Amino acid sequence: MFREVSRCLRLIGRYFLLNLSSAIEYRASFLLQTFGMAINNATFIFFWWIAFDKVGGPIGGYGFADIMFIWALASSSFGLAMVVFGNAPALARIIYSGELDTYLLQPRPVLVSVIAARTSVSAWGDFAYGIVLLALTQPQSWSLWLLFALCVITGALLTTAIQITAGALTFFMGNASMLQQMALEFTINFSIYPESIFHGAVRLIIHTLLPAAFIVHVPLTLVRSFEPRMLLILLVVTTLYCAFSFWFFGRGLRRYESGNLIQTRI
Amino acid sequence: MAAIEALYLRKHFRAKVKGEGFSASLRSLVRPEYRETVAVRDISLTVSEGEIVAFIGPNGAGKSTTIKMMTGILHPTAGSIRVLGYDPVSQRQALSYHIGTVFGQKSQLWFHLPPLDSFRLLASIYEVDRLVYRQRLDDLVERFQIGGLLRTPVRKLSLGERVRCEIAASLLHWPRILFLDEPTIGLDVVVKHRIRELIGELSREDGVTVFLTSHDAGDIEQVCRRAIVIDHGRLVLDLPVKKLKYDYLNRKLVSVRFFEPQSLPAFPGVTAIKETGIAARLSVDTRAQPIGAVISALTGGGNVADITVADPPMEDIIADIFASRKEERS
Repeated sequence: MFREVSRCLRLIGRYFLLNLSSAIEYRASFLLQTFGMAINNATFIFFWWIAFDKVGGPIGGYGFADIMFIWALASSSFGLAMVVFGNAPALARIIYSGELDTYLLQPRPVLVSVIAARTSVSAWGDFAYGIVLLALTQPQSWSLWLLFALCVITGALLTTAIQITAGALTFFMGNASMLQQMALEFTINFSIYPESIFHGAVRLIIHTLLPAAFIVHVPLTLVRSFEPRMLLILLVVTTLYCAFSFWFFGRGLRRYESGNLIQTRI
Repeated sequence: MAAIEALYLRKHFRAKVKGEGFSASLRSLVRPEYRETVAVRDISLTVSEGEIVAFIGPNGAGKSTTIKMMTGILHPTAGSIRVLGYDPVSQRQALSYHIGTVFGQKSQLWFHLPPLDSFRLLASIYEVDRLVYRQRLDDLVERFQIGGLLRTPVRKLSLGERVRCEIAASLLHWPRILFLDEPTIGLDVVVKHRIRELIGELSREDGVTVFLTSHDAGDIEQVCRRAIVIDHGRLVLDLPVKKLKYDYLNRKLVSVRFFEPQSLPAFPGVTAIKETGIAARLSVDTRAQPIGAVISALTGGGNVADITVADPPMEDIIADIFASRKEERS
């Protein structure tokens, strides 16, 4: 088990370096996309600053610093997920067009290979933006950075797992690309607004099916008042959800139908 | 030990069917209808280690589906299959250390990076020791003459150069079986010839079993020793290439264009498929008439502007096989 995990981590590391080499092959494009995404995200600070100025108090129980924290965490988590597992949002298309063949021919777990085989260049901008935002808007402490680092990892894993689950629906219902895209957009939207504005079914969804609450809102609670029990819940939920997405993909893989599309690896 | 053993191998696909027009789309939304397609029907075959086998058939015959079941990509609906003693379904990862694959339509090299980077990643995926990898790479570089290509991004390589790199990449981990699905598709004559030589060398020198599908009769004639023909998912013929050559690959197509209109000389074994006076397309039965004699007769008068000799398309060869089998039966 330990050997298998370490082999997977090594594989992810190799893919990461190869993808990074591929991305910086076009240096100007890499820098433009990275900084472009950071600037795009930064415009939202002004939106929230104006909103708080108009309201003159907390919004949905969140202060300006809280909103900036969930933005920083959502941005860096999403960024890390897409830098390391950049193929995850394309999973439905990859399955539908029969592109899993290459990965099925290699002696490595298919899912890890396929999601790690590509990086998103602009996601570097998201990842860096979150870190800069945290540095500029939060009262600094070691514990803040430590928790932030941990929650970026759990957030990235959850973001990826949501994408895997949505993408793997393709095995059962045909092309689920739109559904996967919607899952990504919902996850982002549920992660950048105060938790208390979501009620009823939506609240249930963000704690179960699309666990956005565990990507940013639970970590915010942890940062504001640390509770070991809450941390344990976060780690257990992350592990269980990731395990579920792996299992779900594995079940679907038996129904894989391949295809004859001409393809290259980019 | 047999390299490949398949017994009553079968694969069904379920496909949604829809009538014509928008109303049919709406009906399909409410009540979708599905049709079951049988891609492979009870194929049984055995391939010994070291054999070079051509697996041929027209488009949609089930060639790629069969290869995908042999390599663990697809799960068979029924039947059993063992490749080098492994079950490709339950032992996919263990099997993949021993097989190499080249799908003409699917690249395993990174498009924006030089082949060397992809090779290094593949060596690590297949857990090839670093020193051993260096030696293997040197050997493959020399064999495939790709030394000058290793540091050029794949996107800047010609198709022929890319295919040579693809085959080299599939051999980095010393596979015992090489599955080649249309490896020469889109290549020019010279590069095709080189690829065929290399495949032959692999079998002779390294004892690699080669399982090849191709639409090019030349690939089969020049590389393989045994041919398995399938059609509509059924195995219809399994015979030595020598016999296939004698019985079915005995036709050449000659296209000729003249400077001045002329009538064609009559030859036994030569049939005019099309004749316009200024140009003609002939089918030559090489058992009755050596191709050299036909060309000499045509070019002898000095009136030939252009002449090409080609193998008939694989579809025609398969059609010939079916026609002759029908005759045999009747």
